[in-house]
Order: sequence, then C-alpha cells, then structure tokens
Amino acid sequence: MNKVLEVKNLTKKYDRFTAVDDISFFVNEGEAVGFLGPNGAGKTTTIQILLGITSPTAGTIKFFGKDFSRHKKESLQRINFASAFNTLQGRISVWENLLVYAHLYRVKNPKEKIMEFINYFEGEALLKQRYWDLSAGQKTKINLIKSLINDPEIILMDEPTASLDPDVVDKTLSFIEELKKSRKITLLYTSHNMDEITRVCDKIIFLDHGKIVAQDTPLNLTKQIKTSTLKLTFDGKEEEMEKYLKSQKLKYEFLNKYTVKIAIEEKLIPSVIFGISKTALWITDIEVQKPTLEDFFLHIVRGKNYVNSKN
Amino acid sequence: MSIQRIKAILLQELYITRHSLEVLMDLFYFSIVNIIVFGFVSIYLAGSNNPLAAHYILLGMILWEIIRVTQYSISVGSLWNIWSRNLSNMFVTPLDLKEYMAAAMLAGAVKTIIILVLIGTISHFIFNFNILNLGILNLFLFFINLTIFAWSVGIIILGIIFRYGTRIQALAWGIIFIFQPLTAVFFPVSILPKFMQWIAYSFPPTYIFEAARLNISNQSTDWQYIYIAFAENIFYFILALIFFNVMFNKSKETGQFARNEG
Repeated sequence: MNKVLEVKNLTKKYDRFTAVDDISFFVNEGEAVGFLGPNGAGKTTTIQILLGITSPTAGTIKFFGKDFSRHKKESLQRINFASAFNTLQGRISVWENLLVYAHLYRVKNPKEKIMEFINYFEGEALLKQRYWDLSAGQKTKINLIKSLINDPEIILMDEPTASLDPDVVDKTLSFIEELKKSRKITLLYTSHNMDEITRVCDKIIFLDHGKIVAQDTPLNLTKQIKTSTLKLTFDGKEEEMEKYLKSQKLKYEFLNKYTVKIAIEEKLIPSVIFGISKTALWITDIEVQKPTLEDFFLHIVRGKNYVNSKN
Repeated sequence: MSIQRIKAILLQELYITRHSLEVLMDLFYFSIVNIIVFGFVSIYLAGSNNPLAAHYILLGMILWEIIRVTQYSISVGSLWNIWSRNLSNMFVTPLDLKEYMAAAMLAGAVKTIIILVLIGTISHFIFNFNILNLGILNLFLFFINLTIFAWSVGIIILGIIFRYGTRIQALAWGIIFIFQPLTAVFFPVSILPKFMQWIAYSFPPTYIFEAARLNISNQSTDWQYIYIAFAENIFYFILALIFFNVMFNKSKETGQFARNEG
C-alpha cells in the first residue's frame, strides 16, 4: 500500500516546553487515521506542522514520498484542510469564498467545480449568503466543500465537528463516511470525541504530552484494557455480597442495596457468577460492559490504575 | 509565481472592498473629506496673499494619499483575513509569500490610482488646482516613489502583525502618520529644526515632496532628488522584505502564525 504521509522523529519545542516529542507514524492511501489525545497532547500542533504553518524543531515529513520542506507547493496542491477553528472570509459570500479558493488551487473550470459540490451537498441556498451569516452547521458544510475543491488525496481535519450540536455532528460524520467510500480519500482526523473517532477512523494514534503512547485499530486499543465492568442485580444481603467480593479481592462499588458494579477481567466472569450462585445470594440480572475507546483514553490520561467506571 | 493565485487574492480584495463599509470609509470617505478640508484651507491661504503655501498644502495632501492608501491596503488587507480566522486557511493552499505580497502591492496600487484620480478631479474642479500641472512624467515618478515607500512601510507593519498578532493591529492605521511631519509633507524641509532635517532626508518621500514643491514653484524637475529617493526606496524595500521574511519565519517558529485570529 502507498504511504500518503510519512512522519519521522517530528519534534516541536517552544522554549522549554515540548509540544510534539519525537513522533513517527505513517498514513496509507485510503486510510482514515484518528489523532486522539487530551487537551495539550500535541494534536493541533502536529496538524499545523503538517500543513506548513508552524515550523518543526526537528524531524522529517514526506507527503506522497516527497520531502515536504522541499516540495511544499506541490504537496499542498494535493492536500486540503478542514477545521472548526479556521473559518472562511466572513464578509464575503459563500460563492465568492469558494471562487477565491478554487483560484488558489488553480482549479480548472472553477465555477463548474463549485457547483458540482454545492449540488451534491444541497448547498445552493447558501451560495449568496455572507459566510458570517451562516449557522455553525452550514459553516461546517461549506468548510468541508472548501476542503474538497482541489480533489485532494488527503484531508487533514482538526476537530471539524467542535461546538456543533449532535444532529449536525451526525450529519457531518455521515458526510465524511460517504466521502471515504465514494472518493477513497485519505483522512487524518483529530478529535476528543471517542465515538467520532471510532466511527470514522480505521487506525488511531494516541498522543499524550506530545508523545505517541499507542497506535492501533480502535478494537485492538480497547483490547488493551483487560477489565470489563460486571453489573449484578441480586436478591439477598448486601453484606454477604460484600463478603464474597472481598474474599475474591475484587474491586467493586454498590450502586444501591441490590446492585453492585465489579471491575473484572472478562475471563473471570463465569467463575465469579458461579461462586456467587453457591452463596445464599440470588442473581436476578447480569450486565457485562466491555471496555470502550473512552476507557482506553481515560486509562492513558489517568494512568494505569484507572478502572472503568461507567454505570 | 502563479497569475491565477495572484488573481485569487485580488478577487478577494475586490469582494471585501465591495462588501465593507469600513474599507470604503477608510479609503474613499477620508480621502474625499481630506481633500475638501485642505482645499478650503488652501483657498483661505491664497486669499491671505500666500498662494504658494496654498498650493503646497493641496499638493502635499494629494501626494500623501498615495502613501496612506497604499500602506493601508497592504496592512489592513491581511487583518480582514486574520479577523475572519481565514489567514492560515489561505496559507495551507499552494499560495506562497511572493504571490501574496505581489497581490497585496498590486491591490494597493490600483486602489491608490482610483483615489488619486478621484481627489485629483475634485481638486481641479472645486479648488482650481490641477495635479497634472506637475507633468505626466513627474507625476508618474512621484507616484512610483511614494508607492514603493508605502509598500515598504506596509510590509514592515504586516511583518509585525504576523509576528505579534492582532494586539498591535493599531499600527496598521496609525504609524504611517509619523511620516507626515518627518517627511515634510505640507511645508519645506527647511522649516524643520536641524536635527529633524537629518531625519527627514533619511526618508525617500521627503525628496519627492521637495521635488514636487520645486516643480510647482518654477516648473523645473530636480532629478537629483528623484535619484536619491529611488536609491533610498530600493534600500528600504529590500530591508522591508528581509524584515518581513524574518518575522514570518519567526511567527511560524513560535506558532503565532497558526494562532493568528481575530
């Protein structure tokens, strides 16, 4: 598979603070890679360096196999960018904005190209409106159309759904999924939102304090969390349940007198249930919550001692 | 350099100018009000048996607008994009600095020509002062020199804005006016104290305003002044480009460029 983007030993230091700390990764053609991490992890700085608007302290970037610092124009012609934090020129209309960007990318037949995307995304009613006057959802739509105007081979998306309501987020994600399918575009996508990342991305690069702490598929990352949550509803005395759980040295939390949440390795669940059934307790409901990407995120952010705590 | 990308920036300038009352006010309104006020002052001075001073004032005002409008166009043009959080968006396209600067300078020159024609016409028909009396060649040389100086100042201010962000944006409107007394726009340099004369002669517009006044007084062209102005302009323009490049690189190094927003 062709590597669209290859980053080696990328570092960015601001005086004594290291925002990006010697990271290396690659993105294959057609792949959607998620950049996940807490605030200040270095996600946005990395994207800015990849776009050439922040200079790196060290490291190399290759787009389409060519050194970015030496082939910047050529690379940027094949890349595009969408973010909730960078908007288009607010004072002019959507049509005028898109026309300016079409010329910046030297698009052939710019008017036809704009109309192609506008029709596809049913944005005709927005064309004459001033960009400032659009709603957050409409702006996101136009930003995404802008990010497609040069038929990019890779789109870098920096939290494209930030501050949008759930309905618009869902529509935006559907649109991005549609893009992936229909145009086979490579994506590099940053977000705090686990569900978004799980939905859109094939691979996740987890950043924390500027370093890559994990990179794998969403499924494999969640597999790294060994403990699931076992939620039991039972008939019997709370003290007896507590006595049993203590004897098994399990971590637990009572949600009420008859419901307990236990952090437990998945493979131990049958033996625990079997053990409880031998006591005077009667299990009336069993619920197993498997670890999610969010658990992995919290595991990284809060340290190794984190135990899944969802109800 | 791509003509199409330069065209893109020029198109954006045109759209912003067309949609922004502020730009129309800053460019056209102030230029027209200035020429009217200074026109009446010149009529008053002419009536006080000082016709030469009257012409100096009106001449200075018209030529000064070349500097003000060109510099404003370059510096404030970028601010519109910073305020819209669109500047870094534009620089993640294949647009490079040379294309951006070329477009900004061209846009500034076009706006200045339009305003020059407008205020020149007002001055001729209302105040009976024809700027073309300078002679087409002289006017062209004065225009080129003042434009290059305005480009240099605009580029330096742009570099500072890119480097330090919008917290110093007031420079874009204000700093140019320091050159009004320093380059003796409305009066002969000899009026200035000696130490200020030295400062004045270190700036190219001083020679142009002196040459223009001489030109209007006795219809002669002081070529030496024009040569010196050209030489100083080349020096300042190169200095401005180097300064801008250093500021731009520093801005990308500190992350300020990516953070630049309204």
